[in-house]
Amino acid sequence: MTTPSRPAFRLDNSEFWTGILGLALGIFVIRAGLHLKLGSINDPGSGYVLFYTGILMCLFAASIIVAAVTEGGPTFASRWDGARWSKPVVIIAALVVYSVALDQLGFLISTIPLLLLLLRAIDPVRWTLAVPLAVLAPLGVWWVLKRGLLIQLPSGIFEIG
Amino acid sequence: MDVITNVMQGFGVALQPINILYCFIGVFIGTLVGVLPGIGPISAMSLLLPITLSGTPESGIIMMAGIYYGSMYGGSTTSILVNIPGEAASVVTCIDGHQMAKQGRAGPALGISALGSFIAGTFSLVALMLVAPKLASVAIAFGPAEYASLMVLGLVVLTFLTQGSMAKALLMACIGIVLGLIGLDGITAQPRLTFGRIELIDGIGLVPVVMGLFGLAEVLLNTEQVIKRDIINAKITQLLPNKEDWKASAGPIGRGTLLGFFLGILPGGGAVVASFASYALEKRLSKTPERFGRGAIEGVAGPEAANNAAAGGAFIPLMTLGIPPNVVMALLLGAFVIHGLQPGPLLITQNPGLFWGIVASMYIGNVMLLVLNLPLIGMWVQLLKLPYNVLFPLIILFTIIGVYCSSNNVFDVYVMVGFGVIGYFMRKFGYEPAPLVLAFVLGPLLENNLRKSLILSQGDLMTFVERPISAACLALALVLLIGPLLPAFRKKRELVALDEGA
Repeated sequence: MTTPSRPAFRLDNSEFWTGILGLALGIFVIRAGLHLKLGSINDPGSGYVLFYTGILMCLFAASIIVAAVTEGGPTFASRWDGARWSKPVVIIAALVVYSVALDQLGFLISTIPLLLLLLRAIDPVRWTLAVPLAVLAPLGVWWVLKRGLLIQLPSGIFEIG
Repeated sequence: MDVITNVMQGFGVALQPINILYCFIGVFIGTLVGVLPGIGPISAMSLLLPITLSGTPESGIIMMAGIYYGSMYGGSTTSILVNIPGEAASVVTCIDGHQMAKQGRAGPALGISALGSFIAGTFSLVALMLVAPKLASVAIAFGPAEYASLMVLGLVVLTFLTQGSMAKALLMACIGIVLGLIGLDGITAQPRLTFGRIELIDGIGLVPVVMGLFGLAEVLLNTEQVIKRDIINAKITQLLPNKEDWKASAGPIGRGTLLGFFLGILPGGGAVVASFASYALEKRLSKTPERFGRGAIEGVAGPEAANNAAAGGAFIPLMTLGIPPNVVMALLLGAFVIHGLQPGPLLITQNPGLFWGIVASMYIGNVMLLVLNLPLIGMWVQLLKLPYNVLFPLIILFTIIGVYCSSNNVFDVYVMVGFGVIGYFMRKFGYEPAPLVLAFVLGPLLENNLRKSLILSQGDLMTFVERPISAACLALALVLLIGPLLPAFRKKRELVALDEGA
């Protein structure tokens, strides 16, 4: 049995940077708590719990940073080893565009292309199945919600749906 | 006698045709999401939370509860036949269940899983009926200090049981508290962390947060992998276990039921913890532990009984104290609140029809599940063949619809997408979402009780240690926080720590 040597700290250590992010969030929460007024222990103000939660966040984040520096940790690249990272990227991008388009274009006009894109982008479904599914699923949902449950989905500037 | 009268009243509510229908929809959807990997009871319940608005509180909550315990049944089918856990509580069933299926014993594995679940589910209901009213009468004496300490304990237990670094889990819990405090301060009505956005005045909705962190993030993670399914294609026969199977399973089912029920009651515990604990216990008690992992029926019977008993036990802290012990119960609390009800010590006396109706519906639901999971097993097997490249886009579509319908507001869709992305990166970097969600729900309650207790005690912090229940909760929380610093304790934690995810 050999004792493993302590790994050297690398700047692309993902644990370190997530700890830094946690620390930044903690500082932000402390500031927000102070801004909202702490009050006193007899009569805690709106920022009282936020302030102390922020302090705890800083402590936990600091412990993550210390562990990352002393014990090392996986690099950013290693987190995606063997993963098809492009798939979630495409889905996230599609959903961001969709979120913006939903209110403007309405549910039907924005959801049909989204679904078609997802059906073709994740693991391509053949066109003969993808197109009818992308059209019929949102239409079916829209019909059930509008007629059955009387829920109005966004109709957008073209007022379709 | 009181219990019998109350149960009769409960059946009066549960046997109304509309409630039977909602119960069936709940257990059917529960089995469905249990069977389908990638979508768990949390996602399904948050998706259907808005639908509960259209009916009575009884109907909505009966359906939501049905999804939860139904998913416990369904999850085992996928574990046994495909070797992929349908939901987190069935992870451990994969180990021996799939081995049994490979040896041509899929039928008995599915059978003992469903029957063990039924026995455990029924026991936990009887125990729920007997324990809940007693605990509720004790809980009336709870003050803000006890509530605050109990919530602290719940959060600490969950972070203790979460896989990986405890510091990360605690950080997540703190972030959850902060997110829960967004919006108007309940005491001073001062807006907090709203950044001038009117949509944030009422705070962030539970549905978009949960759908993002559990539904969307889960899909994003799954699309990264090429999921290979090793489905058992042989015809499933002889679902009823034989005499030897029953002999081997009786002990594990009994022990799993008791263990699961008590672990379910504990704040922060739940079905996942119970199934792992039961597996470890059975392996330790077995005279032939080497059979575990190679198709031992005890490795299926115990954990499946434990996760169902835990599902029943988890209702106790919610119904009697108003404190959700896990994320699923937090969603159920959301359903109560939507209907203007506050679970807690007074629920049973003020709304006996609701409480006993839910309990009685669970008996009916358990019988429905037995039918759904044994004679209709073939239907679920067919469903397992549904390709993921079709399933994932549809799940995304339904999460968007569910989130929009919960508030009729596109802003919630932005929130859901945002939390989906955050949830994806959290999982990639080893940050579990469960502590965040539980803290998100408990945060405002914790703050309220903490501030109330400080005002009542005129700032005397001793109020938390002078009251025995509060002191005991805080002492236990402290042990769990300090414990992992000791090497022996840390090893034990790593053994029981697990993914409380989907």
